Amino acid sequence: MIEVKNLVKTYGTKGNLFNAVDGVSFVIPSGTSVAILGKSGSGKSTLMHIMSGLDKPTSGEVLIDGKNLMLLKQKDIDIFRSNKMSFIFQSFFVQAKESCYDNVSLPLEIANVAMSRRRAKIESALAAVDLSDKIKARAKELSGGQKQRLAVARAIVNSPQILFADEPTGNLDSVTGGMVEDLLFGYSKKNKVTLIIVTHDFDLATRCEVQIHLKDGKIDSINGLK
Amino acid sequence: MKTYDILRRARRSLAQAKVRTVLTSLAIAVGAFTVTLALAAGEGGRQYTEEMMKTSGDAYSLTIYSKTAEVVDNSGLSEYGVIKESAQTNALNETDIEKIKSVDGVVNVATVYSVEPSYITRGEGFKKYVAPVNVKVDRTEMKLAAGSLEDNKIPLGGLVISEDYLSSLGFENAESAIGQSITINFPKITTDKSTSNESIDKIFKIVAVDHKTDATMYYQPAFSISNEDGKDIYSYQTGDEKNDKYYVLFAELKDGTNIKVAQKAIADKNYEVYSLQDTRETLLQMVNIAQWGMVAFGSLAILASIFGIINTQYISVLERTQQIGLMKALGSRKRYIARLFRYEAAWVGFLGGMAGTILALIAGFANPLISEMLDLESGVNLLVFNPLTSVSLIIIMIVIAISAGYFPSRKAAKLNPIEALRTE
Repeated sequence: MIEVKNLVKTYGTKGNLFNAVDGVSFVIPSGTSVAILGKSGSGKSTLMHIMSGLDKPTSGEVLIDGKNLMLLKQKDIDIFRSNKMSFIFQSFFVQAKESCYDNVSLPLEIANVAMSRRRAKIESALAAVDLSDKIKARAKELSGGQKQRLAVARAIVNSPQILFADEPTGNLDSVTGGMVEDLLFGYSKKNKVTLIIVTHDFDLATRCEVQIHLKDGKIDSINGLK
Repeated sequence: MKTYDILRRARRSLAQAKVRTVLTSLAIAVGAFTVTLALAAGEGGRQYTEEMMKTSGDAYSLTIYSKTAEVVDNSGLSEYGVIKESAQTNALNETDIEKIKSVDGVVNVATVYSVEPSYITRGEGFKKYVAPVNVKVDRTEMKLAAGSLEDNKIPLGGLVISEDYLSSLGFENAESAIGQSITINFPKITTDKSTSNESIDKIFKIVAVDHKTDATMYYQPAFSISNEDGKDIYSYQTGDEKNDKYYVLFAELKDGTNIKVAQKAIADKNYEVYSLQDTRETLLQMVNIAQWGMVAFGSLAILASIFGIINTQYISVLERTQQIGLMKALGSRKRYIARLFRYEAAWVGFLGGMAGTILALIAGFANPLISEMLDLESGVNLLVFNPLTSVSLIIIMIVIAISAGYFPSRKAAKLNPIEALRTE
């Protein structure tokens, strides 16, 4: 369960202050798929960064399963992130010169997973995104859609509880984008993983159970939450 | 993140930028190559010096003269007539021998005797020859073509002949001379220094055949006999049974004695003492200065390559901002990011060190060529490599490379992941 309480993130110097996130609060039950909708500049990326611990708010709290992220030391936030969260980005950010195997292996290495257990996890992650035949291929040899599927494999290999996706289909055509969306929603439902998608694609947002509309750093409307 | 994983990722990222890695390692390799060769040449030079010393004198033998009384103090000439003592009292005698023997480490004090042969022959029916007869007083190493000497000393009744004399004496080779007898005739010398009709034939057995080597500083072909035989012959020739005035004494030190300490102890008893150590130390000093000079040049090359590493690493960090941001987003701690870049630098240091050392070892194969050019004896090498030195050098290269990577790796660690992942 993710609980966000009165988050505020302020940028700028005195006299020129600007609130990217301006008092946002909500509660997301575990296993829900959530879309954070908004135009660019609405604060949606900032909100995601704060929720995932990549950034610290100026004020407010984020509680994940009761744990207050603000109270954790940087080291513990890092460990928490490596075990419980994963990310998918609009620009894929796969390591082009590395093999698919080594790409997917990265979260396992960071989370200190024993070497003997890695191969099985990597192979099943690649199978889940239908890239088993590319296991030894270099990432740069893949098409855009395949790269994003590789990113998904990387995101799910360590069985995270929360999956953050920042415009996951922004760089993909509608067919490939649809495939990646199916993968994400399928995985989330099957494994009860909280899926948080930041997007300005309305169609993608409506596939999620919850939609949080952000405008100028504030919540404009929330659909789907009880 | 485990060290092993970081090492592998570091190696892979270097392999993915081959040209850059090769160029940076080459810079270190040049320095490593120069330093290795310098140390090898130094070692070779030192070994050659020791070799020279061994055949030029006895390390454990000190040459002792009495302090000339003419020199009262070191500030100018001494007036004639002021000092009553004559040169005779500068001679050393039995008391001096006892004084020197009392010094710690002195095993024996020998005096030098000179003998004057009239002729040398293999015996009845053979030709008679003239040649110098040398009395061997210390344990200077003799390079032998045949035969053997215990502790480089000639036994009583033994004779060592020079290789140069073999053919004249009618020996086919050095081996065939061993065990053969040689007769040397010594005349009695009267007090007016003329030889009388009286003489004695001494028969010696050839125990070894010696020859010159390139490393020997002083060599003179001769017949060499033991000091004991020399003393007997000298007594016979001069009739001076109880001669007790010596011009020079040789103190033989026990193996392992501190030569400098013994030298000072004897000098303190008012003698002039010389040892081979003085020459040896001067020579070694020259070799070492040359060696460290070359090492300094090599170090300059290494210093220059450090700047290269720092530069390359900074560029690498800039290039891989996204990768760093990704790793941080996935939960990688700052210190692992820093380690990743430091290990890359370490790999470069390792590769450069290995390349330089291996190239230097290959240059070592040219040793025979170098020996020929410098006219060294075969088997004497100028470049002598020590595995321990090479391994230490490679480790030092790795440490230097890691230090060079320190600041770039800090920059990588401090990167803001949000900034890093932002695409314009």
